[in-house]
Amino acid sequence: MKVSREEVQRIAALAHLAFDDAGLDRMAGELTKILSYIDQLSEVDVRGFEEHGQGTTPMRDDVPRPSIDTESVARNAPAWSDGHFVVPKVIGD
Amino acid sequence: MTELLDLPWPEARAQASPREIVEASLAAIRNDRLNAFLHVPPSAPDGQPVAIKDNIVTTDMPTTCASRILSNFVSPFDATAVARLRAAGASIVGKTNLDEFAMGSSTEHSAFGPTRNPWDPTRVAGGSSGGSAAAVAARMVPAALGSETGGSVRQPAAFCGVVGLKPTYGRVSRWGLVAFASGLDQIGIVTKTVPECADLLGVIAGLDAHDSTASAHAVDDYAADLGEGVRGLRFGVIREAVEKLEGEVRANFEEALNVLRGGGAIVEEASVPMIGYAIAVYYIVANAEASANLARFDGVRYGHRSAHSPTLEDLYFHSRGEGFGAEVKRRIMLGTFALSSGYYDAYYGRAQSVRAKMRHDFGEAFRKFDYLVTPTTPEPAFPIGAKTADPLSMYLSDVFTAPANLVGIPALAVPSGFSREGLPLSLQIMGPHFSERALFRAGGYFENETGWWRRKPET
Repeated sequence: MKVSREEVQRIAALAHLAFDDAGLDRMAGELTKILSYIDQLSEVDVRGFEEHGQGTTPMRDDVPRPSIDTESVARNAPAWSDGHFVVPKVIGD
Repeated sequence: MTELLDLPWPEARAQASPREIVEASLAAIRNDRLNAFLHVPPSAPDGQPVAIKDNIVTTDMPTTCASRILSNFVSPFDATAVARLRAAGASIVGKTNLDEFAMGSSTEHSAFGPTRNPWDPTRVAGGSSGGSAAAVAARMVPAALGSETGGSVRQPAAFCGVVGLKPTYGRVSRWGLVAFASGLDQIGIVTKTVPECADLLGVIAGLDAHDSTASAHAVDDYAADLGEGVRGLRFGVIREAVEKLEGEVRANFEEALNVLRGGGAIVEEASVPMIGYAIAVYYIVANAEASANLARFDGVRYGHRSAHSPTLEDLYFHSRGEGFGAEVKRRIMLGTFALSSGYYDAYYGRAQSVRAKMRHDFGEAFRKFDYLVTPTTPEPAFPIGAKTADPLSMYLSDVFTAPANLVGIPALAVPSGFSREGLPLSLQIMGPHFSERALFRAGGYFENETGWWRRKPET
């Protein structure tokens, strides 16, 4: 599968990753090469194995329990004020 | 004092106090010339020294995942496996280097530089748990935890000439293991000898309220059959894996099979037709999950925040763009692609179907065999830099290890000798789900017969 520069831009936007121009071109080449290898999966006859995932995840009881205290959380926060994470404004000028 | 660390833990413990052994270990770690360690504590309590891969959280040292995006992170809690080690009397003596977020097969993708192979410092230690494997092989520490998604304990264990275990999916709680691909991730163990590995699995295995995928399957007496030998046990040699092997890896593997035969084992050809697709399946399934799991690194709650972030959206894009290394970005991109509209069925859906067929293949093979065996890796440790320009060639070094992760079964890597250049080679023994006790039986027999663990690197 050939991955275009435009396709890389679309995926980078979905993945929230910033690339410079050279990075976009490099990524297009690398993804094309890796996907060409992965394309061998299309030769497998998977009839009878069309299952996705396995088993079930058990549920725990839905009861309140102590969690990590906010002071410990704040210690790793890049910006913190008065019990809140501080972030830039959501909408630009 | 280093001689103490040449011994298996029970023998070292019989000759010296835990304090002496911890001090010997800390001294060796402070003298680390392999870049195996990222963090060393100023002091450590008495006990069996154990090193922890730096993607498993600890309260007394940072957990960086060898990434710039987490370079200042200190966890408010211990991982369950770490807490259980401490409760059992272990002493955590350092955090080991890895490929960033455990994504790699050489530890060259660490933001803090590669770990060197103790048998030849111009070669890689393997990865992603390269620091853990090198630390044990170089006798800096008797044991280490690593983590596995596609072979990240067994492959570096093979490259460094030590024992590496990937337990059954769900055997060990992942609480506190920074998630890469949650449907595959499992904490593993690196030791010099098989009995030490069995003892540590007994400590860290079992249910955990914090990880709903931790299995309720009873924790076994893993060391119980260590002296039982292999007479009458059936070993299947996976034809599709070994038919293209050449040279000394092939010769070494044949010798290993003869050791098993010599103990009365039945060694015959087995067939797992889907095994050749493991790497293609792995890179879709693992990276699809990674693209979701690594969404949490957004520059808001912890980790690197870009100075170039006038808006919240800029903050996401630039914190991640600056914080993640090239291989991590490549994988997030591949995974995002495989899950994106228009490609999901052709890539993610198909990979899961091939995986289901592979699981069926293994199930059929285990009706005839107690174990399936291959070399752990298709070649010994490669030179630093040899594969960094070609991601696909790097991925293919996990060709024999990734199947066990995709199928969820346990697998043990045991040293099987050395190449002409003096590089370690390794035998991989796989068994059905929750067959760890049987793996240790076979691995223990092989180790006793061959004794390769006694050889020690000069560096």
